[in-house]
Amino acid sequence: MDKKKRIEALNEKARAIEALASGEQKSVAALQEGGALNMPVGCTTIFDTGWETNPRATNPVGMCQPSSHDYLGCAGDCWWPAQNPDGMTNTLDLEQICSSISRDWRDIK
Amino acid sequence: MLCEWTDHQVFGARDGAILFGVDQGSLFFIDAETRDALARWNHGPTLDLDAVPPADREILEGLRTARFLAPAGVRHRLAAADFDIAAIPLTTMVLEVAQDCNLNCTYCYADGGSYGRAARFLDPDTARQAVRKLVADSADRDTVTLVIFGGEPLLNMPAVEAAVLEARIQSQQTGKQVFVSLTTNGTLLKPAIIDFIHANRIAVSVSLDGPADLHDANRPCLKGKGSYATITDNLAGLLSGATAPVAARVTLTPDQWPRIEEVFFHLMDLGFHEVGIAPVSPVRRNLLPDAAQEEALLQGFSAMAGIFLKAAKTNRLLPFTNLIDLLARLHLGQTKSVSCGAGYGYLAVDAAGSFYVCHRLVGDENFLVGNLDDGAVPAEIRRALDSVTCGKQEMCSSCWARTLCSGGCHYENHLRENQLGLPPGGSCDFIRRWFQLGIEVYAELRRTGAEEILQRLGKRVKC
Repeated sequence: MDKKKRIEALNEKARAIEALASGEQKSVAALQEGGALNMPVGCTTIFDTGWETNPRATNPVGMCQPSSHDYLGCAGDCWWPAQNPDGMTNTLDLEQICSSISRDWRDIK
Repeated sequence: MLCEWTDHQVFGARDGAILFGVDQGSLFFIDAETRDALARWNHGPTLDLDAVPPADREILEGLRTARFLAPAGVRHRLAAADFDIAAIPLTTMVLEVAQDCNLNCTYCYADGGSYGRAARFLDPDTARQAVRKLVADSADRDTVTLVIFGGEPLLNMPAVEAAVLEARIQSQQTGKQVFVSLTTNGTLLKPAIIDFIHANRIAVSVSLDGPADLHDANRPCLKGKGSYATITDNLAGLLSGATAPVAARVTLTPDQWPRIEEVFFHLMDLGFHEVGIAPVSPVRRNLLPDAAQEEALLQGFSAMAGIFLKAAKTNRLLPFTNLIDLLARLHLGQTKSVSCGAGYGYLAVDAAGSFYVCHRLVGDENFLVGNLDDGAVPAEIRRALDSVTCGKQEMCSSCWARTLCSGGCHYENHLRENQLGLPPGGSCDFIRRWFQLGIEVYAELRRTGAEEILQRLGKRVKC
């Protein structure tokens, strides 16, 4: 039995989730054109200081966040192979070993 | 890949299970193998998909696609929305045109219609001011709803007529639609009033509790005689030539709950377009049900659900409001972060022109949030709502029904917790079982291909 038969969307929200998921798969496929080893375009492969500038009236006012925050810029469900301990391939247990990035970043191997 | 399970609830179904995604409001049917794989792997907070044998991994990948597994550490539970009350347009106003009543119902929450004060009538000018306020504060909303309420509103026809006339004027001036509905005990529906209702397309709810013996047990006139005969004499005129739906609004005391089915069909036979059945609010301790009575209520609703499904097979939508409203929400997968609109676009106005967050809380100073002249005060609305919701988040956060219920009725909670001194959560089990019943009925509708019924449900919520 194929996957579709195993799980069947009943209500409209479930159908929306299915549509969203199939859309996601298409974008991943598009980015893999030319072979899976190609680096994708469309996301930064270098650190782009400035995007993390603090807009709030809290410290550090108007300044960049500590650079350790860059580590999480592409972690989690973002799979871009940027220079970070991405939770998908290299550091699967990122959340466990590094629950506070500013404090625990040295623990990332 | 390290994943964690998102909140979900599994309900048994023939040859598989129904899977409810709590935060999304999604409903899936899963086959027996998926159900078993879910049971095998759903232990512990995280799951390493790469460590799962290929056969099960394929099934779990399907569950991941359906958002029941999410990458570990990603915040998949949305934070509760923090509403700016001032920015929410007014959409529904309940107008207490008469805080007085010609019946003496045993279970009345409004102290004989007066809401704990001397009997009062809304002045026609104030009624018009209220309707102008409703339309003026409705921002970009195309439609607003005016609910004419009491006490018994037909005791004060001058204010009813003034409000309806103003609604028509406002509608013409602004291009907005003003829906008018009226809740009445039905004893004063004389031909002239019925003509007025028909001419103005007013949707009427008649409080009628079923066959004479059930109705008269709790809804006597002031002199003690039952009101059933008077109301049913008036009904024919109201129903023939109706220009808007006429609904029966039933309140049943715990001793009457075993007769739900009989009540429903009695009222359908009388010609009502819809029937909604409410278990009585425990305004006094002796109206609190015991476990057996609560079970009887669920059995009654469950029997109605069976009849609903049978009717759906012949493409007929059984007009049992309780179930239709629930199914319509489940169909869309609507989730709620507040339990109702009270204070969020929904306000009640008492006979003196004061705003309360809800019609059921009129007269209680704690829920007084402003007046027609100065408007409703957002900070006061926040304070009033917080007084009945604060401290519940933790209890609700572990409940699978939280996105359907979001804490339940403020009035019921206030009554049980603050006035009867009961611990919070006393009705949670009943509410969960009612939602489960709705989910099972919905899944059955989907599986039996009742597409036309489902489309009609969808329209009900969207309109």
